[in-house]
Order: sequence, then C-alpha cells, then structure tokens
Amino acid sequence: MPWTRGSTTSLRAPSSGAPPAPPRARRPFRDNPLQVLLGIFALIAALAGMMTLLYRSSRLAPDFLSEFVLYSLSIVDLTMLVGLVFVLARSVIKALVERKRALPFARYRAKLVLALLGMTIVPAVLVLLVGSQLIFNSVDRWFNAPMDEMLESSQRIASDYYHERQRQVSEEAARLARTLGPMDLAAADLGPIRNALAAPVNDRRLTLVEVYRIGAGDDGTPQAVPVVDVASAAAAGSVVSHASSERLATRAAAGQPDTWTREPLDSGGELIRTAAVVRKPDGTAAGIVVGSVELTGEMALRARRMTKAYESYTQLRVLKRPLTGVYLSFFLMVTLMILVSATWMGLYLAKRITRPVRALEAAAREIGAGHFEYRVERETADEFGGLVDAFNSMTDELATSRRRLEQSSIDLQRKHAEVEERRRFTEAVLDRVATGVITIDASGRVGTMNPAAARLLNLDPAVVGQPAATVFAGPDLQPLAAMAAAAPIPGREWPTQEISLNHGGREVQLALAATPLHGDGRTLEGRVLVVDDVTPLIRAQKVAAWREVARRLAHEIKNPLTPIQLCAQRLQRQFAAAPDPVRALVDECTGTIVGEVDSLKALVDEFSQFARMPAPRRVPTDVHRLLTSTLGLYEGLFQQVRIQTLFAVSLPPVRLDADQIRRVVINLVDNAIEALNQRGLIVVETRHDAAMGVVRILIADDGPGIAPEERDKLFMPYYSTKKRGSGLGLAIVRRIVAEHGGTVEVGPNEPRGTRFTIELPCGDGEMPPVAEVT
Amino acid sequence: MMRIRLLALVVSAFVLEAGGPRVVEVGAVARDGRVYVSSVVSNDLVEELGDAIQSGLTTTFTYEVALRRPVSIWFDRTISEASVAVSVQHDTLTRRYQMSRSVDGRVDDSKVSEDKADMRRFVTSFDRLPLFGTQDLEPNVEYYVRVRVRTRPRTAWFFWPWGRDAASGVARFTFIP
Repeated sequence: MPWTRGSTTSLRAPSSGAPPAPPRARRPFRDNPLQVLLGIFALIAALAGMMTLLYRSSRLAPDFLSEFVLYSLSIVDLTMLVGLVFVLARSVIKALVERKRALPFARYRAKLVLALLGMTIVPAVLVLLVGSQLIFNSVDRWFNAPMDEMLESSQRIASDYYHERQRQVSEEAARLARTLGPMDLAAADLGPIRNALAAPVNDRRLTLVEVYRIGAGDDGTPQAVPVVDVASAAAAGSVVSHASSERLATRAAAGQPDTWTREPLDSGGELIRTAAVVRKPDGTAAGIVVGSVELTGEMALRARRMTKAYESYTQLRVLKRPLTGVYLSFFLMVTLMILVSATWMGLYLAKRITRPVRALEAAAREIGAGHFEYRVERETADEFGGLVDAFNSMTDELATSRRRLEQSSIDLQRKHAEVEERRRFTEAVLDRVATGVITIDASGRVGTMNPAAARLLNLDPAVVGQPAATVFAGPDLQPLAAMAAAAPIPGREWPTQEISLNHGGREVQLALAATPLHGDGRTLEGRVLVVDDVTPLIRAQKVAAWREVARRLAHEIKNPLTPIQLCAQRLQRQFAAAPDPVRALVDECTGTIVGEVDSLKALVDEFSQFARMPAPRRVPTDVHRLLTSTLGLYEGLFQQVRIQTLFAVSLPPVRLDADQIRRVVINLVDNAIEALNQRGLIVVETRHDAAMGVVRILIADDGPGIAPEERDKLFMPYYSTKKRGSGLGLAIVRRIVAEHGGTVEVGPNEPRGTRFTIELPCGDGEMPPVAEVT
Repeated sequence: MMRIRLLALVVSAFVLEAGGPRVVEVGAVARDGRVYVSSVVSNDLVEELGDAIQSGLTTTFTYEVALRRPVSIWFDRTISEASVAVSVQHDTLTRRYQMSRSVDGRVDDSKVSEDKADMRRFVTSFDRLPLFGTQDLEPNVEYYVRVRVRTRPRTAWFFWPWGRDAASGVARFTFIP
C-alpha cells in the first residue's frame, strides 16, 4: 500500500512535493484472503470437533467429561470471553478516540458495529437461554424415582447373589478346614485328604478345592505350599490360575481379614474363591483350604451389566452438575463463537466499507493540498474498486489539467510581462514624444492621455476618465469632440483636421487624426486621437516659401538693377554738359534712380542672404562666455540703456554655431534698444531646464511691448513694426534657432515690455571641450 | 424463572467451588531426623462425597502438605512440600472398598475392606507419615506444617481454576534436635 497514514490507508507515494511515504505495514489478517479462509476453516473445524465431542459425549466416562472436557471447555469459554471483551473494549475505546479526534466515518463505523452486534447478541442470548433451559430439563429427566428403584434393585439382586455364593463357598471351605484339621497335611499319603475334598466337589457345591500347607519362607514369613487340589469335571476344561489361589492362601496364612477374591475366567465366567485356615486340634494353623465356585459366563455377565448400569446411573447423578455444566459450556461456547464472529465480522465489514472511503477522503485532501501525484491503490474488484479507479482517473485528469493550467499560467505571465514591458515602452515613448495621443474608450470616456496631448490641448491630466464630450467642450476643441463621437466609416479612416489654438496669446497649429480601435469581432472598442503640433512645420513651410520668394526676387530684381543703374549713370554723364536746369533735373533724377537702385540692391542682398543662409557649424560652446562677449559690444554705446545679466549658476555646454547665435543675440538686443528708444533696461537671463534638456536665454526689455496679435507675425519675413528695415531680422533669428533644434518665442515682460525666450537643446551626455568664443 | 435458575447456577458454582472453611487437624513431630505428620479431616467431607464413592467413581483426597517457616512482615518461606493422595473405589457388586495411599506418587499403602468406617478412617486421616527430613531445619526455630485438602471428582457446575481448598489446617512445632 502506498502511502499510508496508518495501516489501512491506501495511497501510493508521490513522486515529489508530497510527504514521504511511511514503510509499508504488514498486511493485516482481515486483508489476507488465504488467512481469512484458513480462519473460517479453523472455525468450522472447531465446530465440527465440538459437534463430534458432543455426539460422543454419551459414550465418554462421566468423570472424563466432568474433569477434562469441562476443564477444556471452561478454558476455551474463558479465553473467548476475555477475547470478546478485549475486542469490544478496544473497539469502544477506538471509537471514542476516533470520535473525539473527529475522524471521518467514526460514528458510521461505531453504528455499523453496534448494529451488527445488536443483531447478533439478542438472538444468541435468546438461544443460550432457551438451550440452557432445555439442557436443564433434559438432565432432570435423566433421573427419576422408578429408574432409581429399578437400577438399585437389580444391582442389589446381583450383589446379593454374589454375596450368597461367596458365603456358601466360605462355609464349605471352613467345613473342609475343620475336616482336615486332624490330618497331617505333610503326609506322603494324600488319599484321605483327597477323599475328604472329593465330596463337595462331587456334590457340585464347589468347583475346585485346593489345600496348602503353611511353611516358612526365607524371611520367616508364612508361606503357602500347595498340597493337593481336587477339581470338578467342568473346571478341568477351563484354564484356572493357581497364582491367585496361592496369593489368597498366603494372605490367609498371614492372618489378613480379606480372605476371598474373584477371578475372571476365559469362558467369560468368574471364579469366587474363599480361603479358610486349617487348624490342628491344638489350635495352631497347619494349612489353608481354598474353595472355589464357578459362576457361569452368562450369570457373571448379567450381574456385571447390572452393576455397570447402576454405577453409570449413580455416577451420572453424582456428576449431574458438572455434566450439565459441560453441555452448558458447549452452548456458551457456540454463543461466544457467534458473538466473536459477529464482532469480527462487524469490524471487518465496517473497515471494509469505510477504509476505501477514508482512503479516498485522505487522497482528496492531499489532492486538494496540491499533491496531484497521489493515488489510491485498488484493493478489491468490487464497486469500491471501480470507485477507486474512477477517482484515480479523475486525479489523472486533474493533474493533466493542472499541468496545462500551470503551463498556460506561465505563458500568460510571460505574455503579460511582454505586454507590460511593451506598455511601459509605449508609455515612455508617449511620455516623451511631442505628439499628443488620447484614447477614447467605447463608452466615450477619455482612457489615456499623454503629457504632450495635455500640453498641446492645454488640458489637465486629471480629465482622464471623464466623458470626451465634456473634456472637449471648449469652442476650440469642438473638432476633437466631433472626432471622439464620429461614427466609424467602413473601409476608411476618419479624415485629418487642423485646428488653431491660442495658448496664452500664442497661436498653435495642431493636426488632428483619429484611428478606430477594433476588437476581435471587429467591434469598435474605442478610438485613438493623435494631436501633432504642426506650427513649426507650417512656419518652416512659410519660411521656405519666403526663401523661395526672396531667392526669386533677388534673382528677378537684381538682374535689371545693374542696367538701370548703368543707364542712369550714363544719362547723368550724357547730361553733364547740358544746361544747368536740365543737368540739375537729370542729376536729381538719375541720383534718385541710382540711390533707389542701391536701396533695392541692399534689399535684394538681404533677401539673398536670408535665402542662402549657411548651415550652422555646431560645436560645444559656453553660452555665458558667448553672451558676455556679445553684450560687451554694447558697452559705452548707449548711455541711457542698461544691460543687466542674470546668468544661471551653471550651464552645460551647448552645441551651437557661435557666430549665428551671436547674430541672434545682437538682433534681439538691437530690437530691444530700438524699442526702448535708447532709454531703458534690458535684462539678459539664462536658465537650465535639466528635465527638458534645454538651456533658455531670455532677453527682456521694459519698453512699450508688442500687441499679442502681432507677436506671431514678428517672425514672418518681411514683417516689421519699424519704419525702416527689411522685416527679415526676426525671421533670420527664428531660422537660426530652428536650425539649432531650438525654439524662439515672444511674450510680454512683467511688468511691461517684451521678452524673447530662446530654447536651445543641451546634451546630457559627455561633451567635447568647449570651443573658445571670440 | 429461567434467569433466576441461571443466576442460582452461577452463584452455586462459585460457592461450591470455593468450598467451606473446614479445618484439618494436623499434628507434626520432628524425631529421628524426620518430620512425622498426622492429619485428620472431618467426616463431613466424606459424607459430601459419599454418593460419588458409592457410585463406584474413583474418589481422591489429595493432601498438600507444606513444611514452612514463618517470616515476619513477609511471606512465609516454604522449606519442603509433599503430596499425599488417598483414593478409594467402591465395587458395588462385591461391596468392597479398594483403597490406596501414595506419597509423592509412590504407593505407600493399599487396602481392601468392606467396612465403610474403615474406609472413612483411611481416606480422612493418616498417622505419623515421615514426609520431611530435618536436615534443612534450624534448631530451636519454630516451623509449621500446613495441610490443604483437595478432592476429586469435582461436583461444581463450572471449572473454576482459583477454587479454594476443601479443608486446611496448620500445626506448629519447634525443632529441637
């Protein structure tokens, strides 16, 4: 048996992960069919022996029955009684312990055993009582007064007959002894003695007469010496022993009172012998006469039978109680056998029934604890065996399912990890990208929103979870609300849209795109809104357009300017000799033409420069040193303009083209001085935003400021608020900053004035040595 | 009725097997290097077994004789033991009693008699049997001889292995060499 918790549990040892299996216990008697058969055979043999003994009990000697048989039965009864009490006490104690420990099926087992015992004890005790009464009645009927009288009378007749014959023989022997008294028993002539003995023999009063002479033995004791004997014709045919006669004569010579005896004959009869002492006239003992008479075989046999019957009867009466005890012991033994068998059978059946169920329960507990390798050993081929097989099959399937489940769980965990990693990656990407991404679930609520979306749409991240219609309720965000609520178009995607938002006075151009999210059944589970800030793109497009325009203008305008200027100078030279008024008019006109041509050339040069600005040569540069050297150019130039620097404690090196950035700074400071009308305060400030990875350069003045609606137009080419100028200065500034990967913004200064903010990316990694700024 | 009878049967079995407290008159004399023991038990015991004797059953009176020395605050010490078995069988045809007596399995005496009184005397008493030697006795020390009588055949309902003796008695003496 496999893994047993006890001697009856039938579990196979698990391969791993389970408690170790205890050593296999010896198979109990009840589980060994051969031993059970032997036990049943022994029981049947005992019953057969008992029945045989009971059958032969009438032929056994009463004292044998009352001694040996009664002793044996009493021992067996006591042993069985002690065994029964022990088994019952053990069962009761075990049942109590099992009940106290709340072991399964304890009450059921106790009830089953009690029921079987009850079903057996009641009829067994009833049979015992009735049988005992029957035995009492039967034994009582053995003895009754007529039987007593009949047997006693017959025995007395036989005994009286024996005594009468013995008395007759004794009287005859005594008479012969008196007759032989005067005779010399040692004489050589035995004729007179023989004649004296012949008379009773001839008269058939005696069968045999023997005469002994008393002599002295070696030790001085009297010794009977045979002298003569006379036998009848009947006795002559029988073998008669003289030894018993000599012993009897010797005893009589010794004076012992026991002077008669009986001797069985080969013919079946008996010989009654009596001795008488022959005394001389002086009274001394001279010899012994032994007279014998034969009882015929028939007579002796009948007398002996009568005596035997009487003795048996009286012995039965004397041993009435022990004999009754013998038969009662038989009955008691049968009853005890039944009870012991019933008890054993009850326990056996109880265990037979409950043990497989217990084993199944224990196995179920183990399997419930996760030990799927447990199996219950099939012990029988009956329904319990089928139940065990079904249980084991179920356990196999459970183990297989468990293994599959564990494998699925592992796969799921791996996939979950992958998804989680992908999610984190996506989240990190979405957190970092400048493109805003918003997911709308099937219920129309905002599922997720990355920081770029919140920044671009100027939304609070806490709106996640709120309905999209509420989040996008603002008038500027209505296109988003429409996209969030739009029905899907089969086979097509939603068209992209562009919207323009005003963020603190700054106009931002956003491109909107929506993509539906479909589930497994192609059902719409939500949508993704993508928001791109296309403002730089649009600006770049505008700049590119203006650059093309500038290039063409420069090309188309500059070409005719030289001939115009040459023609004007030629006209001026031709009319140099003309009269003064004409010459003055020509000079004035040609001078105007040449001056305007020069202005146009300068304008064309600026356009050409704007169109053909070289790519920046970016090297790591110390921004503070660059700003200090640049601002040093203004020292002493404007007495009423004060330039204040508020530099950060430390700035990382920034990869930039120092000449181009210097031009940017000069352009902005020039604009500020002009806006201040050469009187006021200019603040140049630097900041480092490590989180965003940028360095900010802020140039602010306390001038009159710029209207909000004109701020975005400032960076457009050919737009200027000044009376003079090409309007390309800030366009060049934006282009230089853009080509450095940065941005430039304009905003109001506090408390008044204008503030330009330049953001330049700074690498967090290790950078080469900083370039020297001249 | 049946229950009462069964109960009476069991009770009487115990009582009869336990036996009454009959006294055996015991005499002991140490002389000539031997301890002579005499014993007489009352005729009541023979009367109880009279039917058994007269029926022809071999009836045995077993006298378990023990020579013991008293020990204070402990069990008395047994110096030596002897068994005297007297059996009698009645021939109902000849009306004679055949009697024999053996000491420790050795026949000591046998007798045939028609006299019932003679038979009673023979089975209920023995006189000055030299059962023990004095070589193991210490001078001037008190000893006693205990005689316990058991009889057969049993006439109880059940065999009870822890039954009491049919009779018992004690004789004390001081060994003076």
